[in-house]
Amino acid sequence: MKTDKPEIIRLENIFKIYGSGETEVKALNNVSLIVRQGEYCSIMGPSGSGKSTAMNIIGCLDRPSSGSYYLDNVNVAQMNDTQLAHIRNKKLGFVFQQFHLLPQLSALENVSLPMVYASLPKNERLEKAAEALKRVGLGNRMENKPNQLSGGQQQRVAIARSIVNRPVVLLADEPTGALDSKTTQEVLDIFGELNASGITVIMVTHEPEVARQTERIVWFRDGEVVESNLTPDDLAQTATF
Amino acid sequence: MDIFESVKIAIATLGASKLRSVLTMLGIIIGNASVITIIGIGEGAQNYTLKQLESFGANQLLIFSGSNEAEGFTSIRELVLSDAEAIKNQAPAVKEVAPTIQSNLSIGYRSKRTSTSVRGATPGYLSVTNSSVSRGSFLDLNQQRQNSQVVVLGPEVARKLFENQDPLGKEIQINNIGFQVIGVMAAKGSFAGLNQDDAAYVPITTMATQLSGRRSPYGIPINSLRVSARDKQSVGAAAFQITNLLTQIHGKKDFTVMSDKSVKDTIAQVTTALSLMLAAIASISLLVGGIGIMNIMLVSVTERTQEIGLRKAIGATPTDILSQFIIEAVILSITGGLIGTGIGISGTILVGMLTPFNPTVPFTAITLAVSVSGGIGLFFGVVPARRASKLDPIVALRST
Repeated sequence: MKTDKPEIIRLENIFKIYGSGETEVKALNNVSLIVRQGEYCSIMGPSGSGKSTAMNIIGCLDRPSSGSYYLDNVNVAQMNDTQLAHIRNKKLGFVFQQFHLLPQLSALENVSLPMVYASLPKNERLEKAAEALKRVGLGNRMENKPNQLSGGQQQRVAIARSIVNRPVVLLADEPTGALDSKTTQEVLDIFGELNASGITVIMVTHEPEVARQTERIVWFRDGEVVESNLTPDDLAQTATF
Repeated sequence: MDIFESVKIAIATLGASKLRSVLTMLGIIIGNASVITIIGIGEGAQNYTLKQLESFGANQLLIFSGSNEAEGFTSIRELVLSDAEAIKNQAPAVKEVAPTIQSNLSIGYRSKRTSTSVRGATPGYLSVTNSSVSRGSFLDLNQQRQNSQVVVLGPEVARKLFENQDPLGKEIQINNIGFQVIGVMAAKGSFAGLNQDDAAYVPITTMATQLSGRRSPYGIPINSLRVSARDKQSVGAAAFQITNLLTQIHGKKDFTVMSDKSVKDTIAQVTTALSLMLAAIASISLLVGGIGIMNIMLVSVTERTQEIGLRKAIGATPTDILSQFIIEAVILSITGGLIGTGIGISGTILVGMLTPFNPTVPFTAITLAVSVSGGIGLFFGVVPARRASKLDPIVALRST
């Protein structure tokens, strides 16, 4: 554990409650969690355990019902939609299971999209987008449209898009869920390389083989963090969570 | 994110589904094309009518009985021949008067028979109406004094009765009374829908005594009284003098004096009102076009839910999404407006080539139509755009 590094994410007593009275559902029940700079962390748990809700809150796509969330030392828990949009743009990178590339745009244009919303000048956008694509090994596919790329290549474009604004944390929601085992490994290698270069990575997954390649595993059940600091070895011994 | 970037994104998105974009614009295209064509033709028709009126003459006045100032119908006194004579003799700004008594009568030469507008006229008729005779001579004062049975034929009547023969000196029958043909009028075409060449002219006294036979307590009633002023500048003075004189003779103002200008004003008002009404009807299709745009934009928001979710996840603010969809709607409607304008201008030019009108391309109407379409896009784009901007990114990303 990298205890000497600064905290990137600090969740304090986070509740996420849907409905009220008898139909009240606690999607997150008093969750506290700290992720430090440079960590490579996976979030696991059965469906309905609250791992997706936690990911949405960490990703500033959703607000907690109560509690504090410090992202890069700023409490973002009760920011409005526009403020959260700016936070997502500048501090977070997203990788989704279904890639979510815009079909009418080339790989290069897809990767430059976050910088469009950051109002960067065009030259700088294209330069940085090209750089990010080279980093994921797609320097020779920049002008291709998504439908001209394989699933693995599309996910690499999505990864390039997620890192292009130099986020403080990269959030991946089941990033290998739509890939076969060979391309899964390619994509995981890229996450490994990015983490090795200093990028904090948090990944939601239900596949133990994927989680095993990260450094730290956080286990959710019934809206609570039941284990916040498992190692891949722990996972191998207690495969029955 | 700057507006230029948003416009580029919108154009790329709309370009990705060209057929749909064109169909969406169709309502706006048709609306604009029809508004511009209608206003263009309307202005052309107005100019055409006004130009026709030039034959009426800029220094002319028209006097008819009845007035919106008169108290009741019964108290109106008809205009009579002596009114016209009084105007000619006593109004210094008046150059010539042309009273006429008009009646549709049967006219024949040997076995040929036709019906035409027979007009009792005075020698002043030619100069007041800017007419001339092509053969022979017009009615003179002697013939008027003697109630002579002479007639000047309009060219069409002459052709109907005589075909290729020379009508001069021949005797024709009007209501079975013999008249000698002394002249033929020069062709004049039609004026205000009336064929000016289908007419025959007899001395006004002859008309009153032998053909129409109508009398009133005040003299010989006339149907129409046209007056020419000395020149264009004295039209106002002539109107003033005629009004005073006739009011004095009649004891009240139970007549109306209309000048060339007031006729033109009336016609301009009527045609403008007419084309505005048509344009208003046409602009309903602009409205329908706007609703079409709103409809398609709503469909588009639903279809692009994932795209909206992704854009939001990577940092698009609600305002970014709102402006993206509004800009798309405005681009659709303005492009439609411009295409419609192009079609409208071509339509106007085409009509100009096929009809006697000379339609003008109304530039104010074009600016108006294009900006109205832009406004429509803005107005009808707001609802779908707001819906898009309010989408929850989590829900949007999860949708399939």
